[in-house]
Amino acid sequence: MDSATHMLRTGQRGTLFQLQMAARDLRNSFGRIGLAWSLAWHDVASRYRGSILGPFWITLSMGLMTLGIGFLYANLFNIELHIFLPYVALGIVFFAVMTGTINEGCDTFVQAAGMLSQTSLPMFTFLWRTVFRNLINLGHHLVIVIGMLVFYGYWRTANVPLALLGVILMVLNASWLSMLVGIASARFRDIPQIVISVMQFALFMSPVFWRPSKFGDYKAFLDFNPFYHLLEAVRAPLLGTPVEAQSYIVLVAMAVGGWIVTFLIFARTRRRIVHYL
Amino acid sequence: MKPPPVSITCTDLTLRFPVYGVDAKSLKKALARVTVGGRLGRHSGVTDVTALQGVNLKLEAGDRLGLIGHNGSGKTTLLRALSGAYEPDEGTIEVNGRIAALLDLGLGIDSSATGYENIRLRGRIAGLTSKEIDERMDEIAAFTGLGPFLAMPVKTYSQGMQGRLAFAAATAVEADVLLMDEWIAVGDAEFQKLAHKRLLKLVERAGILVLATHEAPLLKLYCNKVMKLDGGIASEIMDIRRIDELLAA
Repeated sequence: MDSATHMLRTGQRGTLFQLQMAARDLRNSFGRIGLAWSLAWHDVASRYRGSILGPFWITLSMGLMTLGIGFLYANLFNIELHIFLPYVALGIVFFAVMTGTINEGCDTFVQAAGMLSQTSLPMFTFLWRTVFRNLINLGHHLVIVIGMLVFYGYWRTANVPLALLGVILMVLNASWLSMLVGIASARFRDIPQIVISVMQFALFMSPVFWRPSKFGDYKAFLDFNPFYHLLEAVRAPLLGTPVEAQSYIVLVAMAVGGWIVTFLIFARTRRRIVHYL
Repeated sequence: MKPPPVSITCTDLTLRFPVYGVDAKSLKKALARVTVGGRLGRHSGVTDVTALQGVNLKLEAGDRLGLIGHNGSGKTTLLRALSGAYEPDEGTIEVNGRIAALLDLGLGIDSSATGYENIRLRGRIAGLTSKEIDERMDEIAAFTGLGPFLAMPVKTYSQGMQGRLAFAAATAVEADVLLMDEWIAVGDAEFQKLAHKRLLKLVERAGILVLATHEAPLLKLYCNKVMKLDGGIASEIMDIRRIDELLAA
């Protein structure tokens, strides 16, 4: 119904129709995926314009944080450095991508207000923009990941295909969360503050800086932390340790369930989002 | 398959804007509403503003429609609705043809990026591919007359130079349906003449023009039809020669 040369907007309602329109939005966003990519590149380029290191500044600060925390905690917890340092490094890098995708999701639609109010661009385009922007950042931080894996010899045992599967699951889950907080933030301006606090809390509650083996009897506490599973699915294969089957079940269930809920909410609110802004 | 001829059709188009006040945006209020069952406060619902009420519109290739009406009468809302940004509350909007909305020249302009980058970005938003932009770049660059400044960040530009850039980038599109909020006039006298010619060419190529403006002389110059909006209610579409009747009404 919608194409480059045909546009139809109706006041028709009903669940089925709204679902159809939401699906069309998603389809159109894939048709113009290049636009989301261009916007994401532009975001990264313009954020770091005039700086020498560009996005590598965050990489650098992450690297320093990794070294600091790595050396300190390795001594505090009495863990060998060659085990702990790569563990923390990968934890920080991948958790930052998740946090970035979700936190920046709050701005997805608010930031796009100008474009949404005078074009027929799909809403999903702006979600992909946020997701791509964070993947571009991840691309820069891979320097740390590869450096650690090579320096400490993990590259010999790293299961890269399995880690890629983990990254895909991570992106699938982070993107529905990003979309959900994006819609909610457009409507309620309190949401971004809440999201930032929750993600900060999640960082300390998840095994980024500490190892789950320290948990002993309280392992059940970890099982209910979705971020633990998200992180493990990427980190464990790279460090050559097995991922529990349970983690994959949780991640797939979360991705499917989360996307269904998000898509239903999007279908309901799609025509209103532009008015929230 | 041959695309259908260029046209715009609105039937019984009604648009209401829900007004989410500062109050309504507070999460606390919304949560409280859920927990106490929607009886909290005097405004349990969201206030609506009716921006367009039962607008009927039918335009075909060759139609140049002028929209007149007081501030807040719904001209811009109608243009935005035609661009596909708003979903009607009642009725339908159907547009056949590529739409170019020149409503806000500043759309997508990033002042820290260079002129070239902005042309690229604007083109991408308007639906051009990278290749198409490359093909047009020389022509757009030449038209801006900014020369070496195009490689500089836009924030170093004067107001007039920014206007030139935005105008050149925004008008580099191929469109069948051109939506304009006020006839665009940017830059110095010399550039305005050039810009005028370019706009006219764009209008000639486009099948349909919808122009919202307060200036009757402009309408008489560019439009062959006119419609008046008053509080979101549209008059019938009249021949431009009868514009004085509408203005008097």
